[in-house]
Amino acid sequence: MNKKIKRKNLLVGWGFVLPFFILYTIFTIWPVIQGIYVSFHKWSLMGKVKFIGLDNYVRFLEDKKFISALGHTTWFSLIAAPLLVIAALILAMFANRPVKLKRGLRICFYLPSVLSVSVASFTAKYMFTPYRGFINGFLHSIKVLPANRELQWLNETNLAWAAIIIMTVWWTVGFPMLLYLSALQDIPPQIYEAASIDGATKRQQLFSIVLPLLKPTTYLVVMLQLIACFKVFGQIYMITGGGPASNTRPLIQYIYETAFKKNNMGYAAAMSYVLFIILVVLTAIQRVVEKKGAKADEI
Amino acid sequence: MKSKAKRNPGSFILSAVSVMMAIIFITPILWSLAVSLQKEGKQITGILDWFTPPYTLKNYPDLIIGSDVTRWLLNSIFIAVITTVFTVILSAMAAYALAKIKFKGVNALYFYFLLGLMVPGEATIVPLFITANGFNLIDTYAGLILPSIAGSMNLIIMVSFFKSLPNELLEAVRIDGGGELTIFFKIVMPLSKAVISTVCIFSFIGSWNNYLWPLLCSMSSSKFTLPIGIPTFAGTYTVDYVKPMTANMIAAVPVIIIYIIFERQIVEGISMSGVKG
Repeated sequence: MNKKIKRKNLLVGWGFVLPFFILYTIFTIWPVIQGIYVSFHKWSLMGKVKFIGLDNYVRFLEDKKFISALGHTTWFSLIAAPLLVIAALILAMFANRPVKLKRGLRICFYLPSVLSVSVASFTAKYMFTPYRGFINGFLHSIKVLPANRELQWLNETNLAWAAIIIMTVWWTVGFPMLLYLSALQDIPPQIYEAASIDGATKRQQLFSIVLPLLKPTTYLVVMLQLIACFKVFGQIYMITGGGPASNTRPLIQYIYETAFKKNNMGYAAAMSYVLFIILVVLTAIQRVVEKKGAKADEI
Repeated sequence: MKSKAKRNPGSFILSAVSVMMAIIFITPILWSLAVSLQKEGKQITGILDWFTPPYTLKNYPDLIIGSDVTRWLLNSIFIAVITTVFTVILSAMAAYALAKIKFKGVNALYFYFLLGLMVPGEATIVPLFITANGFNLIDTYAGLILPSIAGSMNLIIMVSFFKSLPNELLEAVRIDGGGELTIFFKIVMPLSKAVISTVCIFSFIGSWNNYLWPLLCSMSSSKFTLPIGIPTFAGTYTVDYVKPMTANMIAAVPVIIIYIIFERQIVEGISMSGVKG
């Protein structure tokens, strides 16, 4: 009887898991293994496959385009992630104030985040376009920019980065804002009341109560934003195309062009592992941080 | 409490600043919407001209009828719906077995599914393409749908929810001779409406907005989804903005409506995922 039940459970259990298991194995796990195999070859889609060992890995260490693309992604992440964290915190504080507009504010701040990268980038591109774009028009109308001058947002490297970062903060700040908001709402109101009674000013409350209580959330948000920023591709590809002169090309775009425009799959797969390792390390750090945060919560 | 806050000038300034921020956040979307409602060829001299009437809805039928946009819209809807249905059913079935059926190797299996959290899809996109190509899935609907179905995150959310369902209830059905499928469809699924609808909303929006994979997987314009098709509308600086912004809005409006309707659930879902990472 017991044996029978065990066997039945094994069959039924596997029966339930199997469809998910198959898709997960083929499309999530297998590509990781297949990628290693591909990266040891000169591999083009038209069937030319030649084993070349570690050549692809040696090659990108000397590839100036690779180094610059990795540099762009890194520099973008180190600038955009902290900006996103600070903006998320400020917006969450706004949306957490006891005013009637609370829900409206939350909806407005998160609204851009539900748009696809195409819609968000497409809108941004048209807004930043010189001569006819909204942004220069706005700057003209408030007299910040003289009427005869145009800011070439998409054709000057520094301005292009500024446009990309402004758009990224606008488009993605909603998610970390919500994480901060739920952390703020978990702070019991008695704490504020007790502090007020003790004569703590609003500023003192912020710096000695609220921010320390938000520490675990801040760690989590910083890591999540860094991970998200290292995956940057869509908005840059659509707003500047990686230009001017490849000066804003991120790593994923270089991998994409190597694989699909130059048909060099092996080299692209090898470069992907640099990104893979960076992201896995960041994710591992994030998990450790999270476990620590969970432990702190229990105490 | 509230009335006191209103009289406080500092608090009023903060409210004014937060409303300003909110306006800044929705301006690009409102601008895009306003442009899509303008007549083509309108002279724009100042920024307010973008927003002023006369408005017309004519651009929408003009663009939808007799252009590829219709096809992309239908592709987006079809792919998002099918992806969502399969994601929910397959993830829920697997999660049920992992949470409620005791069988050999269940823990190892769960660990195996957890590994997916560590795999960044962006970094395996090249071998994924080669794999899909090996199965002849490139430029097919199956290729656009299948890779996004089995995700670790949805599975974990469901497993943790199913674990909280009372075993006695399931045992009672088993003693009455009900099979696992009966339990799953008649008891577990109806009790899990909240978690299922959260997974539904997120996988629908995720599929609707998906960019990198459809960019690689769709070769012919007949297989494009809106996110892939719309940037092909990007004209030069001299072209009228009306048509591109109309296409833009056709892609944006459905998710904005879904978001407004399910806003509370989305916020709760995100707070939940934030706790679980």
